[in-house]
Amino acid sequence: MNDWEPKITTFLCNWCSYGAADLAGVSRFQYPPNFRVIRVPCSGRVGPKFILAAFRHGSDGVWVSGCHPGDCHYLEGNYYARRKFALLKGLLEHIGIEPGRLHFSWISSAEATKFVEVAQEVAKEVKALGPAKHFIKKRAEVA
Amino acid sequence: MTKKIYTKEEWIKALAGLKSSYRIFVPVMDGDFYIFKAMDETKIPGFDFKNTRLSPKSLIYPQSERMFEYTLDENAPDANIIKESEKDYSPRAIVGIRPCDAHAFQIVRPNFDNPEYQDPWWIRRYESTTFVGLGCNEPVSTCFCTSVGGGPFSEKGLDVLIYDLGDTFLVKALTDKGETFLNQARGGKEADEKAISAGEDLAAKAVDKIKTKVPTDKLKDKVQTELFDAPFWDDVAFACINCGICTYLCPTCWCFDIQDEVFKKQGDRIRNWDSCMFPLFTLHGSGHNPRSKKVQRVRQRFMHKLKYYVDKYNNGIQCSGCGRCIRNCPANIDIREICELMNRF
Amino acid sequence: MLEYVEKIRETARKLFEEGKVDVFIGYKKGSVPMMNQPVLISNADQVDLLYWDSNCGLNLCNYLTRRTDRIGIVANGCNSRNIVTHITENQISRDQLYIVGIPCKGMIDHRAVQRAVKQREILSIEEQGDTFTVKGKDFEDTFNKSDYLQRNCSVCTHRNPVIFDEMVAPPVEEQIGVDAYKDVKEIEGMDPDKKWEFFTRIIENCIRCYACRNACPLCYCPTCFVDESKPQWVGKSSDPIDTMTFHILRAYHCAGRCTDCGACERACPVGIPVRQFTKKLNKDAKELFSWEAGLTLDQRPLLDVFRPDDYNDFIR
Repeated sequence: MNDWEPKITTFLCNWCSYGAADLAGVSRFQYPPNFRVIRVPCSGRVGPKFILAAFRHGSDGVWVSGCHPGDCHYLEGNYYARRKFALLKGLLEHIGIEPGRLHFSWISSAEATKFVEVAQEVAKEVKALGPAKHFIKKRAEVA
Repeated sequence: MTKKIYTKEEWIKALAGLKSSYRIFVPVMDGDFYIFKAMDETKIPGFDFKNTRLSPKSLIYPQSERMFEYTLDENAPDANIIKESEKDYSPRAIVGIRPCDAHAFQIVRPNFDNPEYQDPWWIRRYESTTFVGLGCNEPVSTCFCTSVGGGPFSEKGLDVLIYDLGDTFLVKALTDKGETFLNQARGGKEADEKAISAGEDLAAKAVDKIKTKVPTDKLKDKVQTELFDAPFWDDVAFACINCGICTYLCPTCWCFDIQDEVFKKQGDRIRNWDSCMFPLFTLHGSGHNPRSKKVQRVRQRFMHKLKYYVDKYNNGIQCSGCGRCIRNCPANIDIREICELMNRF
Repeated sequence: MLEYVEKIRETARKLFEEGKVDVFIGYKKGSVPMMNQPVLISNADQVDLLYWDSNCGLNLCNYLTRRTDRIGIVANGCNSRNIVTHITENQISRDQLYIVGIPCKGMIDHRAVQRAVKQREILSIEEQGDTFTVKGKDFEDTFNKSDYLQRNCSVCTHRNPVIFDEMVAPPVEEQIGVDAYKDVKEIEGMDPDKKWEFFTRIIENCIRCYACRNACPLCYCPTCFVDESKPQWVGKSSDPIDTMTFHILRAYHCAGRCTDCGACERACPVGIPVRQFTKKLNKDAKELFSWEAGLTLDQRPLLDVFRPDDYNDFIR
């Protein structure tokens, strides 16, 4: 249990959060290695199908990050995303996915330090919950 | 052929005693409705039911079934070889199946077992199963088995038939398989003349209780294309919401779809029930869909059940009169009304 | 609600005679007790088929999408809200419709009634306003309608149509002081493992017939997500995780649009309480965004708009 490392599927918006992650790397900041990054054009691109697919594939956690409200490269994508995420988080936690597994943040491309901080927090919370137990699609349970 | 009398408790004990030679499936109450489940200490059979919500079709033809599998794991002895999935075909018995559902297996048999094509999974399950039927003392108002060649005490497709005489069961073997089953069941005593005639009386009364008569005599003579182009299909199809309830609950529907699923290094080829009601059922690889409209699909279902099957197999209509589709359709589409429309067209 | 039948027939006849509609969508009396069949009539001679009672549970708005003719339609509270949603989402236009509004006192939950008569066969049902009598082969029972309302009807706060061209009767009193989300709150109080267990248990009998999806007026996508194959989001087999994925995603697609009409629960052949998935979303929409679907034609759908000060607490 102690040497188990969670796998956290991370959706980063191309213009801000991905830039922040890049800057963190270039600046040689240390942050946990648990993140599998998927670059999306905007946090508004991320929908329930993606997040559910990540959990189905065995992700222990999912983290979605985008530009701050008002700074979206596409002007409004993250506003729509904010409403979607609020409802989705509510529903997923309602059916039994532990609250510490699904995370959201607004990180701008200059905020490499914020990226590192959030990454550390997310990794810590997911690690504390242990491996994902519930939503994993394995071999079909059929006759 | 053996005929035995059991009290109801003796019968359940006898079934429990057969555990070593058969896997027994009995109707069990689950919430509001009955469903066939494997009998064990926690699942007490209830024989005081009308019919199960889902038909026992899934015991011979499961909703989702793994056909083939492979593994790419080099450490496994059979790596990279596609092989048929192992199944358990040890003897089983479905106890408490209604005559309409047993008759349904005879209706679908030409599809799964004919000189040209044999479905090995269906056939092996079917042949390892003993059908112990329970005659219907009180058919419900949506039953019409007598109109389709069956009956509340019909012996078609059954190996054993049980008559519910009130306090006791009269259990009658009908085939060699049934004889084997009954001989292994402990307890009970030889049935006397009184019980046998009580059973026959019950059967005759039950037939009279079926009030719904659905005419099917003129279906064979209709011209297929004329029936296809009949003007009533638009009215019939309007209410349908194209879900899959009728096809999934129906004991005589047989369509399926095959999907491959891969999980890490394991691959499975799985057969799932499919429904002609779904839009994707006839979607071609090219993108063309010959039955893209609801009315085409609804027409297809009833033409298949009441005309194409009649023409192809000369075995009556592809319906056992169980009435599940009528009772459970959310839009109240009634196959009895449609059959009548088609028959008198 | 039987007193509405004559008025509905009269209105439909008038509409045909005045040439205001091409077709009229309503219900006709079903062939089995406690079920009615949606019907489309296209001339005044057929108006006597139209019927309305407390068993009209299937949502008629299902039949509206992408029609191009002029349609007369009966609509009670929840159905009228679905019509508003359809108009807002461009599935039908307002001028195509002549809405005959019906103030609704709720539909009878036929499964609860069956349970009450211990699953004996019901051969007929008669309503007497606030009570109804079911008769079987050797039993006859009278019940209070209010004890056997469909679950969504018992917590309904929008019984009167929100949009109509004429009403068949004066509005009924709306229910007040109902806690529509009592069951949701109970589940919210459980810890995650118990929640998962609860939801796994309620869908364990699911046969993936998609009746809930098809009965739902909001599910009108030409290609449903279950049928998408590149990539495939949900497997087609009866695997429990696939079934759970289907229910969650379907509920989510109705987020902010569901009017709690109960057609999904009524349609399910194995009695799954499908609304447990959608009710949580309705509650969140109400609490976080003060939103209820389909109340006026002026509001854009919930996920179609935003406010700069939307709920943000859950985001770092």
